[in-house]
Amino acid sequence: MVKQKVEEEIRSGIIMTVFSTASAVGKTLLSINMAAELARSGYKVCVVDLDLQFGDICNYLHLSPQKTIYDAQKAAENTVGQLDYGEYMTPYEYEDTIFSVLAAPQKMEEAYNISTQAVIEVLAGIRGEYDYVVLDTTATFSDLNLAVMDLSTMITFVGIVDFIPTIKNMKVGYDTMRSIGYEKNKIRFVLNRSNSKTHIELQDVEQLLEERFYHILPNDFLTAIDSIHQGIPLVINDEETALSRGMQELIEKYTNRARQRSSRKNASLSSWVKRLFK
Amino acid sequence: MPEYRVLLIESNRIMMERLSSVVRNTKNFQLVSRAMDAREALGQGGVFVPNLILLDIDAQESMQLVREFVRAFPQAGILALSSQWNAQAASTVVKAGAKGYLIKPFTSDELIAAINTFGNSGMGMISEVMTFFSPKGKSGKTTLIANLGMALAQKSGQNVAIIDADLQFGDMAVFFNLDPQSTIVEATRDIKFLSPISLNSYFMPIADHVRVLCGTKRPEFAEDVSPKAFAEMISMARSLFRYILVDVPSAFNPISVAAAEASEQVYLVSMISGGYEDKHMRRALDIFKAWPDYETKVKTIFTRVEPCDIQKQQQLETLIEYPVCSILPNEYLLVSEAANNGRMAVDIKPGSPLARSIDLLAAKICGRPHKVG
Repeated sequence: MVKQKVEEEIRSGIIMTVFSTASAVGKTLLSINMAAELARSGYKVCVVDLDLQFGDICNYLHLSPQKTIYDAQKAAENTVGQLDYGEYMTPYEYEDTIFSVLAAPQKMEEAYNISTQAVIEVLAGIRGEYDYVVLDTTATFSDLNLAVMDLSTMITFVGIVDFIPTIKNMKVGYDTMRSIGYEKNKIRFVLNRSNSKTHIELQDVEQLLEERFYHILPNDFLTAIDSIHQGIPLVINDEETALSRGMQELIEKYTNRARQRSSRKNASLSSWVKRLFK
Repeated sequence: MPEYRVLLIESNRIMMERLSSVVRNTKNFQLVSRAMDAREALGQGGVFVPNLILLDIDAQESMQLVREFVRAFPQAGILALSSQWNAQAASTVVKAGAKGYLIKPFTSDELIAAINTFGNSGMGMISEVMTFFSPKGKSGKTTLIANLGMALAQKSGQNVAIIDADLQFGDMAVFFNLDPQSTIVEATRDIKFLSPISLNSYFMPIADHVRVLCGTKRPEFAEDVSPKAFAEMISMARSLFRYILVDVPSAFNPISVAAAEASEQVYLVSMISGGYEDKHMRRALDIFKAWPDYETKVKTIFTRVEPCDIQKQQQLETLIEYPVCSILPNEYLLVSEAANNGRMAVDIKPGSPLARSIDLLAAKICGRPHKVG
């Protein structure tokens, strides 16, 4: 514990958790693209798959990990002093972009038997080695998710304005996070698939949440699917799409590079819409 | 309402007086005979032509006793009376021929509720619990369960329950536009003090023969639901419903595992959405293969299958190396509108391809010979 404390003082990576209260809203896709864009911008980045049972990060990146978070926490448990987490990372590399992946366990029983405390210790260890640690989660307030959200710098709350039950769960989830004491500023709503088939108005959802969307990503299901089948994050793919641009803009906001460009929260929507209709 | 001619057997004098008074003061109930000793009632009770026998099973060896009463009074319904709920005892007396099980002392309302609940079909231990499990999130199972529940009730004419155990973010209440007074949180909290009749009131009626036990109102209540109490609740619900459909949180967790273990059938449900659904399905199946009877117990369903035909089904079977029990077509707009309006019970028209596929599955389930065990 003392060792970790010292490390944190030396270097303490920013932990960005990607969370949602509904599944299949694009958490994993967003996580890997956030990681890729941060890496492309020159940061040292690690993305951790915290969907321990059914994690998709390695599927989406076409990686076959030799070591996983299971091995890392096991080693941390048995090591006195500093553990080199590099050994447990699976590198992802495409053209000039490199980032690390801490994969979900290979076996289900490994996944089922990892304690929250063990994950937290691993995260404390690796945050000392990276500028950014991106955490991909599951859509539930599990012990694990609550614990990692506690130590997160920022929580990207991904939502889809799709149908009423999903929005109800977003509202209920947000209220829960506020009630357990998370600052408004720590939670950033990102709307995915903004123009999907729906009869629900964005404004109505914002009114219900009493919060604006920090960023809005366009609906481009086919591009997204294509990217996960290719195993290449959209933001580092050669082809620029509205979706990849939208993700890059999110990272620009997070890293404060977009500050001068616009202070309006919906800037990204208007900018890509404008481009589409030019 | 028919007239009930009650024969009451109760070994405790004070309880006897108390129950007698309740029976006498209940409309349409007539107390025609009473006995403290069951043997005596067997010998002499027939004179009074009872059509309802309230039989205390705490004092005697119940199994044998119930059998003898069934033989002696073939035209009468028998309700077993006990001072506490005991799933084992309930199962035993119903197997022996009793219609149901009632906790004493009871009120007039509880007596009437028991008659209404157990009246026609009997509480029947023939019940089938089905858990709908999704490996990784979004599966379309809530839509499936809602519609399947209704199809089963229509086909069988028997009681169907839907239990929303997707504890944190269950959507069943929204699907049916319910504002429940009681949810799974209260039902599991109170289970120790409940009998089947009182448990029934925790379920909200949504259509003929279909009732729903709603999920938590807020995610933080989820931790109040203990897997043990949850399993006990399912076990008790068996005496109320022919079919019990349980919606559980995705992945393996204490609640989804408890539900799966309490079930006759586990349906693994996954939505085709262009990702790695087949991989997740295989991964989940691998875990269930630890069960010796997994081939009969575990079935798979894919939703949003396009094109929804036999070739596609076979292709999926090849991918997951396991039989695919059912495939459902994509009806996104139909389903989302029905859910948005809280009209899941009426908005999915019987003729739609989705409804037809679900009907087919319901027919399979109804036609299945019941396996005792």
